[in-house]
Amino acid sequence: MDLEEADILLVEDNPTDAELTMRALKRKNLANQVVWVKDGAEALDFIFATGQYANRDLENIPKLILLDLRMPKVDGLEVLQKIKADERTNRIPVVILTSSQEDRDIVESYKLGVNSYVSKPVEFDDFIEAVSTLGFYWMLINNPP
Amino acid sequence: MVFTHVLTSFLYAIEPVYNVLNTSLNEDYFRLLMLIIVVVLVAILAERLEKIRKLNELNQKLKIQTDKLEDANQELEAFAYSVSHDLRVPLRAIDGFSRILVEDYEDKLDEEGIRLLNIVRDNTAKMGHLIDDILLLSRASRQEMKMNELDMAALAKSVYDEFQTDVEGRNIEFTVGNLPNAYGDRAMLGQVFQNLIGNAIKFTRNKNPAIIEVGGKKEGKEFVYYVQDNGAGFDMKYINKLFGLFQRLHSPEEFEGTGVGLSIVQRVIRRHGGHVWGEGKVDGGATIFFTLPKDKPKKKK
Repeated sequence: MDLEEADILLVEDNPTDAELTMRALKRKNLANQVVWVKDGAEALDFIFATGQYANRDLENIPKLILLDLRMPKVDGLEVLQKIKADERTNRIPVVILTSSQEDRDIVESYKLGVNSYVSKPVEFDDFIEAVSTLGFYWMLINNPP
Repeated sequence: MVFTHVLTSFLYAIEPVYNVLNTSLNEDYFRLLMLIIVVVLVAILAERLEKIRKLNELNQKLKIQTDKLEDANQELEAFAYSVSHDLRVPLRAIDGFSRILVEDYEDKLDEEGIRLLNIVRDNTAKMGHLIDDILLLSRASRQEMKMNELDMAALAKSVYDEFQTDVEGRNIEFTVGNLPNAYGDRAMLGQVFQNLIGNAIKFTRNKNPAIIEVGGKKEGKEFVYYVQDNGAGFDMKYINKLFGLFQRLHSPEEFEGTGVGLSIVQRVIRRHGGHVWGEGKVDGGATIFFTLPKDKPKKKK
């Protein structure tokens, strides 16, 4: 996949959840431009073009970031905080996509400026519906700045 | 030492008295009187000191117990947190991939294969409900309460309206009496009505008409509320299990459920300073009562 063409950045440490997410995005033909990174550290490297992604063009920012919360090394809230604190990236819509329904996670995410918070439904149909709907909304209906 | 200090001050204080009495009383008698007074004072002081020491000891013990309880609570919170996250992930994978198997390999699976996969999916759904209910229970125990004056009748009606899809096509006579207003947390008492009315709707499934009544009145220092139905009821023999966690008085084939609903009701009502009880008869309906204190609660942390 051409890294310059990443439309959606999927930050997800669990491979089965990642596969289910891709499958849901595929239903709205959104899966072609998805880049999947496996933890918060890799996500930051990708977004800020550092480490293994040092050769990436920083100007080419993703149109949407789907962010899991609990991940090894750097967790989702820290990634969110860094994205929203940086002039170059703070306009990228970030959607938290997580198993957690804890109030404190929701409150903390919105305090840090998240654009949307979605709890992953356990049931397959609900999951596919939720993820494909949010992908469709942010990629095709929403007007980015 | 405090004691010697007190004694000296006392002796100084009675010196004028001593001087006056000295002229009229035998000095030995006076000394004896003094000695008695001092002995009594010492005894009183010693007793007081002992009481204080014991109190301090008790306080210390209480503090240790409180710390232990706080630790246990934190552990419970961490557990509920990891349940919400860690158990959902594998469950979603089981449900999702068994569905994908049906979708992608439908032509290769026969009817029996699809039936078996549906059993897998039914059971993941059940486990999902169980996890959700356990989380509700843990939330009912630790969530901060926002106390407001509540129109309990309106709350009961709005909760019933949320069951629209469940009551569709059924003949249910639902009535709400003149419930007194109460002080409580709207979300938590809403959850109480949701569980009680939900139960009433569930256990009257085989009745036509189903009769569900929400009532309440002032009784002494508290308000008593109840939700009554004419449904399957229960045997009073098992009354001690009614509010027990994961306890069920019906088989899953008769009525589905996780056995958590009434535990949540009990936790919420106890946190509000009230209590719960139930009455029932096999096939003669059930009534669940709960009380709330009449007085506006004092500010709690």
